[in-house]
Amino acid sequence: MINKSENIKNGNSLTKTRHMVFLALMVSIALVLSIVESWLPVPQPVPGIKLGLANIITVIVITFYGYRDTLMVVCARCILASLYTGGLMSFFFSFTGGMLSAAVMAFIYKKASGVFSLTGISIVGAVFHNVGQILVACLIMKDITVLAYLPVLLVSGIVTGFFVGLCSRFFSDTIRKSGIINKPYRSFAKQSEENLK
Amino acid sequence: MFKKADIILVVIIIIVAAIGYAGITIYRTAAANDVKIAEIIQDSKVIRTINLDALKSPLRIQVSGDYHEVILAEKGRIRFEDADCPDRICVKTGWLTKVGESASCVPNRVMIKIKGESQKVDGVTY
Repeated sequence: MINKSENIKNGNSLTKTRHMVFLALMVSIALVLSIVESWLPVPQPVPGIKLGLANIITVIVITFYGYRDTLMVVCARCILASLYTGGLMSFFFSFTGGMLSAAVMAFIYKKASGVFSLTGISIVGAVFHNVGQILVACLIMKDITVLAYLPVLLVSGIVTGFFVGLCSRFFSDTIRKSGIINKPYRSFAKQSEENLK
Repeated sequence: MFKKADIILVVIIIIVAAIGYAGITIYRTAAANDVKIAEIIQDSKVIRTINLDALKSPLRIQVSGDYHEVILAEKGRIRFEDADCPDRICVKTGWLTKVGESASCVPNRVMIKIKGESQKVDGVTY
């Protein structure tokens, strides 16, 4: 293992490689999560509700890197995921939902991370994920009665967003403690340190 | 773990959802006495309309396209009975019984919805 001081000596290129490897890892973990999720027999009171485990990765990348990397990871994840599931139609769904939620979460994280906790941010993300997918469904069907699903999806977004938020908090604490990333953490690091004490 | 702003946010989302749900419910109960007309729509074109209230015997309709669906209509209700699309959300939606309800198979761009048509006066006898 390369320790921190060596890493600093080696300078920029190693940091860049680490960065790239980390993002690649995140994409692959997101893919695995979405496969595992399709195996889980999640009770579905309303058809179409998903847990959105891949959003854990989106939240993680937002907390450690900026919105550019996040959008890249989401984009790569959607393209790769569409190769082994559903094809073009599911790509449009996951891409629009994923991009919208990632953009909104990254924006809130940047502007108001002191106001909302990670759980709150991921709830917003889950809700916007659902809103994006409903909008795509409206566009494809050219019909607005699809919007009748929205109230149910808003509430389910709160539940799944809460779960995803918890998972990503544990996950980011673990990553931080493991020292895989030795870059200064943005505002949340301080906060979760306080939480740990 | 939870901040004050988070709770406010959750409450706002729940209020918005509740208002939306209430609106839809009011719309549906207002139209509850209407004649139920089911429309099968593909690529935003109506390919078939069925008067569900006038239906005597169950009716099966095949819909083709990128995927195939079997729609089953009975008196007062209609559903996707079977589909070969990957997620089968349309089949899981189940029976549509009320005016304003809809089920869609987005991969095949097929949708069924129940439209209300107010009762015609000439059906009433004295």
